[in-house]
Amino acid sequence: MSKPKIAFFDFAGCEGDQLTVVNLEEALLDVLEHVEIVSFREAMKEHSDDYDIAFIEGSCTRVADEARLKDIRKNAKIVVAIGACATSGGINALKNIRPLETVRKEVYGENWKDYDTYRARGIGEVIDVDYKVYGCPMTQSEFVKVVKSLLTGTQPDIPNYPMCVDCKQAGNVCVFEKGQTCVGPITRAGCDACCVTEGATCWGCRGLVNDPNVDAHKEVLEKYNLSVDELTKRMATYFTNELPKG
Amino acid sequence: MTAKTLSKENFKKFAENLVKSERTIGVKAKETKYEFGNINNADEIVMDYDVTLRSPRTFFQPPKEKLFDFKLGANTEIKPNIEADPFVLLGIHSYDLKALNQMDIIWDENNADQHYKARRNAATVIALEPTQASEWSFWGSMDSSTVDKGYDLLLTDIGNKYYVEVGTEKGANLLSKYASAEDATNDDNTARDKVRSELPNLCKADRKVKCDTDGITASMKNSYNNAIWEKLAEKCYSCGSCNLVCPTCYCFDVKDTIELDLATGQRTRKWDGCLLEPFAKVAGDENFRENRADRFRHRILRKTVYVADKLNGELACVGCGRCSSTCLPDITDPVKILNELCS
Repeated sequence: MSKPKIAFFDFAGCEGDQLTVVNLEEALLDVLEHVEIVSFREAMKEHSDDYDIAFIEGSCTRVADEARLKDIRKNAKIVVAIGACATSGGINALKNIRPLETVRKEVYGENWKDYDTYRARGIGEVIDVDYKVYGCPMTQSEFVKVVKSLLTGTQPDIPNYPMCVDCKQAGNVCVFEKGQTCVGPITRAGCDACCVTEGATCWGCRGLVNDPNVDAHKEVLEKYNLSVDELTKRMATYFTNELPKG
Repeated sequence: MTAKTLSKENFKKFAENLVKSERTIGVKAKETKYEFGNINNADEIVMDYDVTLRSPRTFFQPPKEKLFDFKLGANTEIKPNIEADPFVLLGIHSYDLKALNQMDIIWDENNADQHYKARRNAATVIALEPTQASEWSFWGSMDSSTVDKGYDLLLTDIGNKYYVEVGTEKGANLLSKYASAEDATNDDNTARDKVRSELPNLCKADRKVKCDTDGITASMKNSYNNAIWEKLAEKCYSCGSCNLVCPTCYCFDVKDTIELDLATGQRTRKWDGCLLEPFAKVAGDENFRENRADRFRHRILRKTVYVADKLNGELACVGCGRCSSTCLPDITDPVKILNELCS
């Protein structure tokens, strides 16, 4: 059997997810035993439109992006969204909570009309996505897990429970016990709670867990004296496109 | 069984000797809390802690463990993996030891679990009767202030010395090897009895389960359709924190993972929790406990009915209060739930 051909594409994003792939280092060589990379701007200059699996980083922020995404979808048998921007819009979606004209003027100045840009969205809002690798950036281990699943024809085991699980397994002191707050209780687990383990708090970069109890968390955050403004900002960082409206 | 005493000074020497010669797991500070962990220096050991973040089950059922390595192909190979280096578990409180005793029964059921048993046999348990209770503790109401089995040594702080009950030969050997203990006198016995009788009062007055523990199982069996589950579960995150800190939660999930060579791999198991959405999900996406309220109720009924049935009626809640303290929306406290349903 010939090796599946894979290609990487980027839209609006920092390329941190593709960098994560490059940073696989030795494991990347193991991956290359099983696949042929035909397009990967971050790491090589060659390009081909003949591929089986497309890994897409970044969010869709322009009308022009839609056509490119649809082309990729047409060429690929399997499409995988990698990283927060591609899976949910990521922090790009922060612009969606402000008037578009204000945002465009702020970024592009007096020539703002020359730069066509609209609401930032995950690529799943434009094309069908078969798999999602969450995180900002995605974790190496989860990317490799998804690759192995694709190669073996199995379903990747992506957690659908809150970050609290990872924190408890790591033996962390809950950040709420330390007078801080986080959005871990409504965020999808799967990163071993790396930020909390290292002394920070969870910002929710893996996006909302399915069926998050957002109302309960708003109540808890208020109980812990987070102002409505802080609360809105905290929730907006990674969840803008995912939060139930209203 | 014999009883000894160890002056606080001699206890310190004992701890120093232990740490020097044995893999010692004890209680130490973690930020504003306490945790069980490897002790490298006897000065790290905290004996007057209230409760630890996680229960000591971590050392008998690790959060994640490899069960075996496998190799695929024509000649499939399986290599079991049992990690059970001998260790001394120092300072486990009575309620946690009661939980561990229950787990000994659970893991011995049907196909006895070799991984658990190997680690349990590898452990020398030095238990400790609590001198502090956390603000959430209610072990005083759950018959868990003291235990009568499961330890190799059992320490009770009787002021300027520890009363040491020797539970096994292993405990006796450890004590004679590393400590200069004295025989307990009648006065020591009296002092220990007095401390013991007052232990339940260490838990705060508002942390009392008001019903008779013997009647809890029957009351809870009748509570299946009570509106309380829906009401409380409205605020439930389904985050499983209550499961994961509990000393009598033992559920796990088993996964096979394959290496990038696509030929070798491991079977692992990791902690699971019945509050988590995927817990009761099976092939075909069927979920037997799809609603939060169903999962929320299940945990409480496990502790009071289902697991209790496996333990000759002994409740599988020991009153450590960890679930109550970890639950941010404050809905999971067994004291409130039992007092509402069993009065």
